[in-house]
Amino acid sequence: MTSDTSLARAVEHSAQTAVAKQGGLRLKGEDLTKSFYGVPAIDRVSFELVAGEVHGLLGENGAGKSTLCSVLSGLYRPDSGQITMRGEPVQFRSPHEASGHGIGMVYQHFRLVDSFTVAQNIVLGLGKQFGRQMKVVENKVASLAEEYGLDIDPSAAVWQLSVGEQQRVEILKQLFRGAEILILDEPTAVLAPQEADRLFEAVSTIVARNHAVVLVSHKMREILEHTDRLTVLRRGKNAGSVETADTNPAEVAKMMFGERYVADYRPIEATTAARAGEPVLIVQGLDVEGDRGLAAVKDVSFTVRRGEIVGVAGVSGNGQRELQEAIAGLRSARQGSVTIADTDCSKMGPRGRTRSGLAYVPEDRLGTGLAPGLPLEHNIVLKSYDRAPHSKGGVLAPANIAATTKQLVEDFDVRGARDGMQVSLMSGGNLQKAILARELTADHDVLLAAAPTRGLDISAADTVRSHILNERDEGRGVLLFSEDLEEVIHLSDIVMVMFHGEIVGTFTRDELDIDEVGLLMTGSSSK
Amino acid sequence: MSRISVEPRAHGGAHVRFGVPVASLVFALMVGAVILALVGNNPFEAYRTMYDASLNGWTSISRSLTLATPLILTGLAAAIAFRMKVYNIGAEGQLYLGAIASSWVALALPPDLPKPIMLTFFILGGAVAGAIWAGLAAIPRAFLNADEIITTLMLNFVALSLMNYLIFGSMSFWRDPERPVPQGLKIPESARLPILSGRLHAGVIVAVVAAALLWWVLRRTSWGFQVRTIGDSPDAARYAGMNVKLKLFWVLAISGALAGIAGAVEVSGVTKSLEPKALATEIGFTGIIVAVVARMNPLGVVPVSIFLAAIATSGSRLQSIGIQVEVVFLLQGLIFLSVTAGEFFVTNKVSLNRGSPSALSTEAAS
Repeated sequence: MTSDTSLARAVEHSAQTAVAKQGGLRLKGEDLTKSFYGVPAIDRVSFELVAGEVHGLLGENGAGKSTLCSVLSGLYRPDSGQITMRGEPVQFRSPHEASGHGIGMVYQHFRLVDSFTVAQNIVLGLGKQFGRQMKVVENKVASLAEEYGLDIDPSAAVWQLSVGEQQRVEILKQLFRGAEILILDEPTAVLAPQEADRLFEAVSTIVARNHAVVLVSHKMREILEHTDRLTVLRRGKNAGSVETADTNPAEVAKMMFGERYVADYRPIEATTAARAGEPVLIVQGLDVEGDRGLAAVKDVSFTVRRGEIVGVAGVSGNGQRELQEAIAGLRSARQGSVTIADTDCSKMGPRGRTRSGLAYVPEDRLGTGLAPGLPLEHNIVLKSYDRAPHSKGGVLAPANIAATTKQLVEDFDVRGARDGMQVSLMSGGNLQKAILARELTADHDVLLAAAPTRGLDISAADTVRSHILNERDEGRGVLLFSEDLEEVIHLSDIVMVMFHGEIVGTFTRDELDIDEVGLLMTGSSSK
Repeated sequence: MSRISVEPRAHGGAHVRFGVPVASLVFALMVGAVILALVGNNPFEAYRTMYDASLNGWTSISRSLTLATPLILTGLAAAIAFRMKVYNIGAEGQLYLGAIASSWVALALPPDLPKPIMLTFFILGGAVAGAIWAGLAAIPRAFLNADEIITTLMLNFVALSLMNYLIFGSMSFWRDPERPVPQGLKIPESARLPILSGRLHAGVIVAVVAAALLWWVLRRTSWGFQVRTIGDSPDAARYAGMNVKLKLFWVLAISGALAGIAGAVEVSGVTKSLEPKALATEIGFTGIIVAVVARMNPLGVVPVSIFLAAIATSGSRLQSIGIQVEVVFLLQGLIFLSVTAGEFFVTNKVSLNRGSPSALSTEAAS
């Protein structure tokens, strides 16, 4: 955003503060709690939105941002707590009702019908009366688009539009329905930088009309640049709401990641790094493309040695998944090499890398790590089904497969499996134990573990962590990816920070600076 | 306050797996009885006739089995492909190609070849032609990601036109030159499958053996292990280091080969010549239904095919006792629909719960 428009916005903003003071409080949530399967996603969160403001909602993945937005926009009903609008208590039984109160949400994944036109999408679900007067609708959409600077052709089909244009359609859809409170969930995640700039210009026009915008993001810089106030969520709780002008990146990072965690999570054995031995995983100059053909991993190099855990910290979506897949051979690298236990695996597929000594616990447990519709024993031998003792001459040996399964179920305490039952009916913790059982009992020199404790309860997460520590103690190398910064710090001998596809910082245990890591993770600083 | 809860059933016991289809059948028969009575027929007489026509006595049974034979093969063709989430709906065309190629083999080879050798080449010819026809769709699917539903479906029409052309449109190698009416040349005696009883030919053995073999391959070989993994989750298969594209190609080829064998078996055991009218009876499409009801289990394909064949054979007899053809179709559809829909209760546990209103509202909100 140019300084001109910032200035204009500041002027507009000060003009509105007067309005805000005259009862400009639009939306208030008090003590909102919403649990899923007994685990609170948001826990007694309070939130205030004032007319004419851009309010940033910041937090790590899983901090509860999306849940809070879904509660405010009527998708979920809170288990407890109260929402008030303009001082009056309201209850939304559906997004439609919330929309009736002027609350509109724009999801990260658009809800548009590709083959319909922009105007058709905008009136979709509003009733028949619009069907016969598309021209009128188109004119109204065009004038709305002009008013808010959301340049769009109302008669174009959605499939012809770019992602940025589709987002404008979503915003116009809400404005058309009379939204005065607009919730944008990670709006820039899908946008190119120039498109993001245009979006923020539109946002300032919207708040200039005395509407309010909630901007959800995990990118700190964006929030600091484009909001008037911000609220940070951490682990489902409100970690504080502040005026954006009165805060700084370090303070926000502290709110996001907590300040006591260093004390809580002292490294188990601070001397382990000294024991590190020969390299077992060498990544050299790796360039990897993402799903949409853009560079996702840029010139990444590092080494993992025997007897050490290298942790990669970072907010998800910064190239971690692509890097993992490139190391495992599931995604081809554009450039660079991967060496596993002295074997150059750069040209190998996943099978060759497994054989070379890579154990891999993928981020996506059910679907990649396990075949969800098949029974446990099938999944236990997923990588060893074609070797003795599980098969001979291409013919499976069911008795041996059953014996291996029984043994691993006992050794790794995998519970909840029944004969022939598909694994997708098992709990997350047991699924992860099953994957670990398979991966850790195979011959390997290095373990690649991605988000190994995500979504697990405390005891299952502890089990997983102790397996990871055990790997190190037995002299193997571990490359650990986790969005949970505390976990990375807790377990790793070396911490690397990944941001925008690059390793932006590397810390040994002794030189670890939490604040610096937090800043690097949100792209607010470079080491 | 009560509500109905549906949850996936982990693993139904034998009482579920056999009880549910039987209960579904009984349900269909009861509804059917009401309909029959309403249109003025005696339901008991009708059901008696259906039973007599399809399952009472060896003659009836062998008639049902004859009809079931090609159905088992096309059912297997669909089952193995669908198992891998490859939607080959071209069994119909692959069957025609199997019939064309196998009858060519029979007419081209010396007629005095020993029967086992002749039949081996005959069936092999059908299998290879079916596989190649399916392969035409497999290559674009595996390497260009072209939708195999479209390609296999379209190839059906090409195959049908080709078969019609060979008999009705030209004086081809397959057409009997002696007869003025277009007709296929009869295949030699050595290429005809042995008759077991009445019209029932040894093709039924081929079909049942194919089912058992396919079950074994899927269940007990590392090749089948890969197919099952890919069918459940291609991502997990790639993660485990399996070659998904190559397997895709092979599975489509095998699927086509099975449909091709169905065509060969029909020519050898039933029509004895390339007869477009007798072969184009939608056996390939019905195989899809068979596979779905059998839940892609090769061993399940056999009883389901026999069941469907029995319903079909009993239909014609019902008309002979004066029940309108529409009512016959309605009855067939009812039985079929009910048994298919009953599957839901095999895979899901449905129960009526009583819950407090507050519990209800939290459920609804989540």
